[in-house]
Order: sequence, then structure tokens, then C-alpha cells
Amino acid sequence: MKVVATLLAFFFLLLGLAYGLGYVNAFTSGAHSHHFTHLVVCWVLALLCLVWARFQGAPARR
Amino acid sequence: MTLAQALFLAVLQGVSELFPISSLGHTILVPAVLGWHNIDRTDPTFLAFVVVLHLGTAIALLVFYRDEWIAIVKALVASVARGKLDPANREESIGWRLVVGTIPVGILGVILEAPVRHLFASPAVAAAFLAVNGGIMFLGEYLRRRERTALDRPDIPIEGMSYGQSVLVGLAQSAALLPGISRSGASIVAGLLCDLDHESAARYSFLLATPVILAASLLEIPKLFAPGAHLVAFEAVAGGVLAAIAAYCSVAFLTRYFKNNDLRPFGWYCLIAGTVCFVLARMGVIS
Repeated sequence: MKVVATLLAFFFLLLGLAYGLGYVNAFTSGAHSHHFTHLVVCWVLALLCLVWARFQGAPARR
Repeated sequence: MTLAQALFLAVLQGVSELFPISSLGHTILVPAVLGWHNIDRTDPTFLAFVVVLHLGTAIALLVFYRDEWIAIVKALVASVARGKLDPANREESIGWRLVVGTIPVGILGVILEAPVRHLFASPAVAAAFLAVNGGIMFLGEYLRRRERTALDRPDIPIEGMSYGQSVLVGLAQSAALLPGISRSGASIVAGLLCDLDHESAARYSFLLATPVILAASLLEIPKLFAPGAHLVAFEAVAGGVLAAIAAYCSVAFLTRYFKNNDLRPFGWYCLIAGTVCFVLARMGVIS
């Protein structure tokens, strides 16, 4: 699961970058512009995935 | 927009954001009912004004729950640093449930907010959804009473909810993207159906609303620098302060109210106001 979480974090990081640079316009109101809100949401999701990965790294509680 | 209109809308926003009666629905319906045709909801100066009102509401919520938020943030940071969850830590449990519950509304808000606003921002639709909002509250109260009578399940604290239930409450909150459906109403009903009592459901709803309202207003801050926005600077600042005071008083009242009362009075209000406004809109009296 740690690998999945890290890969998801990387995916959201790149997706946010693509939204921010205007390369991706899916689920946006205006095409071909910088989507700051989408960038922030994607990067927050990337951060949460990293937190998830961090929790996966710890030994299981008994 | 006149100063009197701005101040009225500020109080309306501060109150209706936290009362389970839909702030978005009211900001569409009330100007229509009062015949305030000089207010253009798509005008950049009005959008800048609305951003400040939301910021005021979020600050009021943060101030009201300041001790709880400080404890939650400390607990979350500590658990990330530790790298494992401590289910015995109440603040940490509530904090992670808030994080998990915020994800659905964050994603759905970004994807759906613009098309939904474009499709449904008319008085008739807002009025219809306001009546539906009343129905949701009655249904929630009915289902909760039926479950308690039939299954005799005890109430649970917020930290007793599963993460799946937290996601469900977050999803319910997303229904507020529809004008007329209340964020707090939907999330309180979802909380009740997850076996929270009214007081806990309302508290969880307000805690869950804080990061969403704060993030939404912070992300909209560039609108404050739109051309002409400085023309409403005084109205925006006065309105923001008034919205914050109204929101603080509302959350203080509602946390007391839900200790011994339920959602039905708000359900009646939404049902009656929504039906009356819908009939007026269909007759062409309001537009």
C-alpha cells in the first residue's frame, strides 16, 4: 500500500502541475487557462497521499 | 449595491451559512423577493464582496472553536510525526475524520461548482431545492426516531464514527452545491443517521464546514483584486465584520439549541418558504 500511496501522490503532483500550467482542462469552467484551484486541490490530495504512505510505513499496532 | 443592501446581505450570509436553511438559496431568493434587480451576482465587484463575507464566516467559526482546532491540529501533526494512529486520542480521531470527510466536498466542489451554479442559479430552482431541503430534514428526523425505536441503538460520540461514515457525512455536505440545499442541514442529517445525537452532529457539521468555507474563500481571494473591486471595499469590510458577528452568534445559538431540540422547525421554515417562493417564481412575481 505504501507504493500505491506514493504513486498516487506523484500522480496528483503532476496532475496539479498540468492544471496549473493549463495543459489539462477537464472539469474546469474555462478552457486553456491556468487553473489555480485545481492545482491546489490536486497538491492537497498529493500531500494526503504522502501522509497515507507515512502511516503505511509504521509497524502495525498490537 | 447600496450600503444598506450590503449590510443586510452580510447578516443574511452569516446567519444562513450556519442555520440549516441554505445560504446560497437565500442569497438568490431574498434579493429576488425584495426586487433588488441592481444586484448582479456575476459582477466581479459582487463576487469580491461575497469572498469577504465567506472569509468573515470562516473566521467566526475558527474563533468559536479555537481551542478545539488548536488541539486537533496539534494531534494531527503529532500523529503524522509518529507515523501511526492513536485511536485513544480523541482530538486525533476527530481530526482524521474531519480530513477524510473534507475530501469528497473538496473534489466535488472543484469539479461541479461551476456547472451546477450555471444550471441551477434561478429563483424557481433555488425555491424548489429549499422545499426539498425541508423534506430532507423531516426525513432525517423520521429515520432517526424509527431507528432508535426499532433497533434501540445508543448515540455515539464523533470519534466513534467509522471513516466510511465520515466520508458519507462529507458526501452529504457536497449536496450544498445545489442552491437551496443546506450544507449544515445535509451534514447534520447524515450525522444523525450515523447515530450521532443532535448536539454532536451539529458540532461535527460546523467543524467540517470550517476548512471548506475557509479554503473556498482563500482560493477566491484573487477576486478581491478584480478591476473595480476597490469600489466596494468599504461595503466588503463592513459586511465581512457583520457576517463574522452574525455567524458567531448563530453558531453560539445553534450549539445551545441542538442540546435539546431537533431540525423540524427549520424543516417547516424551508418547506413553507421554498413552496411560497416557488409559486411566486412560477407566477412570474419574482425573477
